[in-house]
Amino acid sequence: MGEPETALQPVLQKRSGKPRGRFRKHLWGYLFLLPAVIIFILFLWVPIAKGALYSFYSIDFVNGNTFVGVDNYARVFQDPDVWTAVKNTLYYMLLTVIIGFWVPIVASIAISELRYFQGFARIAAYLPFVVPGVVLYGMWRWMYDPVGPINGLLITFGADPVSFISDSRWSMIAIVFMETWQQFGSAMLIYLAGVLSIPKDWYEAAEIDGAGVWNRIRYITLPSMRTLIALMFILQVISTSQAYQSQLALLDGGPNNATLTYALLIVKYAFTRLDYGTATAMGMLMFAVLSLVGIIQYKLNKGDDGA
Amino acid sequence: MSKPYERGILSDADLQKPWNKVVYGFMVLCIVVMIVTMLYPILMTAFNGLKTNQEVNTFPPRFLPQTWNWSNFKEGWAYIQLPMFLKNTLYVFVGNLVMTIFVLGLASFSISRLKVPFHRGIYFFILMTLFIPASSYMIPNFVNLKDLGLLNTFWAFWLPAGANAYFFLLMKNFFDGIHPEIFEAARIDGASEMNSYIRIAVPLSIPIFATLAIFIFSNAWNDWFWPSLVLHSESKYTLATAIYKYVINARSMDNNIKFTILFMVMVPPILVFLVFQRFIMRSVSLAAVKG
Repeated sequence: MGEPETALQPVLQKRSGKPRGRFRKHLWGYLFLLPAVIIFILFLWVPIAKGALYSFYSIDFVNGNTFVGVDNYARVFQDPDVWTAVKNTLYYMLLTVIIGFWVPIVASIAISELRYFQGFARIAAYLPFVVPGVVLYGMWRWMYDPVGPINGLLITFGADPVSFISDSRWSMIAIVFMETWQQFGSAMLIYLAGVLSIPKDWYEAAEIDGAGVWNRIRYITLPSMRTLIALMFILQVISTSQAYQSQLALLDGGPNNATLTYALLIVKYAFTRLDYGTATAMGMLMFAVLSLVGIIQYKLNKGDDGA
Repeated sequence: MSKPYERGILSDADLQKPWNKVVYGFMVLCIVVMIVTMLYPILMTAFNGLKTNQEVNTFPPRFLPQTWNWSNFKEGWAYIQLPMFLKNTLYVFVGNLVMTIFVLGLASFSISRLKVPFHRGIYFFILMTLFIPASSYMIPNFVNLKDLGLLNTFWAFWLPAGANAYFFLLMKNFFDGIHPEIFEAARIDGASEMNSYIRIAVPLSIPIFATLAIFIFSNAWNDWFWPSLVLHSESKYTLATAIYKYVINARSMDNNIKFTILFMVMVPPILVFLVFQRFIMRSVSLAAVKG
């Protein structure tokens, strides 16, 4: 961050030579920042502060709010639905790792080795990502239909048809599979940029030293992607722990609460039970847990570097 | 594909070995299966929209329509007031874009170039918000908009659009990359800060504005949940919200018309993507590396 203005000092002196020149000089700089600062306070920091405050209040839009102490938090811990939701969220996060996390990594390495039609494969993999959410839900409801194409395929191979949506053993898996279909392309592009940036002479050298293809992937490609994979993993954990939209749109948390995630329960507390205070308290608890995870991860990382 | 293929993990010599050939062939097969899996639901949506309702419901499903019913489009277009919802979506998109360029553009320019005292403090004040998970303050955010009296107006989208730390960071990084000499020269020639933003920074920033425009467009086009909370009169619904309420959750609706509407909603983002694909793919990896 070198100060580029040194060459300009005489000019600046001339423009702001008065005693209050220092303020004058920066007037425009502050004016440029002003709208952003106001907007950030009004639409981010105020809601965040209100979140901390409202979690101790009973919110009533008509009669005004009343202070209720820790009642909201007590309600959260007593509600059996909350524990179901926490369990479902953890199960969902686990499934996204098992079903979804490795796919873009493998796909990016495979596509980087394509000699023809690499561009086409990239576009095809990314295309579902631009399909709007509402279209995705309509499309996959039909795909998963008892008389839809997936069951058609299962029957062709002699398997029993599965009602993916209404069977509580399959519903979460169905959602994770649908989301993987939609989202892996964008992660794949990020990994692909990483794979393609590995210098080609490394492979050349390894090959001359007699390393087989698998060893080259094992000892060159994957280690080079290590930081990226770790980063993507953390991002995925943060975003999947807050997931609710597909669960809401496709199944409304059902069947039998099998897809009721924690964030979906927040939404339900607020907009079906109209209990904004408890919903806010749940949000604060989520914030606390995620911050804790973040701090532990940061500490571990620091320990890693020190070792 | 005229330029010669640069080697990757595999060299030409590797591909001469029979075992490698088998594995490579299997890999290509997997990629083909993947591509088919990716394209099948999208093409199915398109073709189902052209079938008769009876044909959509047959089992097992057929890929191509037996008769091409183009009149489905006319029916789908009239089923809900698509033009009105489209107009609302474009309002949200344009307003958000203007706010982003105005509020965040000026702020990131100031942080990046003008370096006022305490600019680092303001920088962290903005970036801190990136680390707070969005769903943890979703409900207070809604209550806050209600307190401000912004519910059921487009201002509930336009104003908060200026509070996006991620877009701020993208623009700030971009401005950091512009050579400071250009601005020095402008200052020597007597340009004010406003002038050097509008006449130098903005024209140079077309690429980053275009990237943001694509992000903001896809957000305005895709987001169905938040607008369904914030807006409650039908005449204000955005396209995605209207589709969610009236098409996805429709109880009695012909499946073929449903798919026709879904297809119509899916086409504009896909077209935008195909037209700008080189540009978009580059910014996806760029945003990842920098963010």
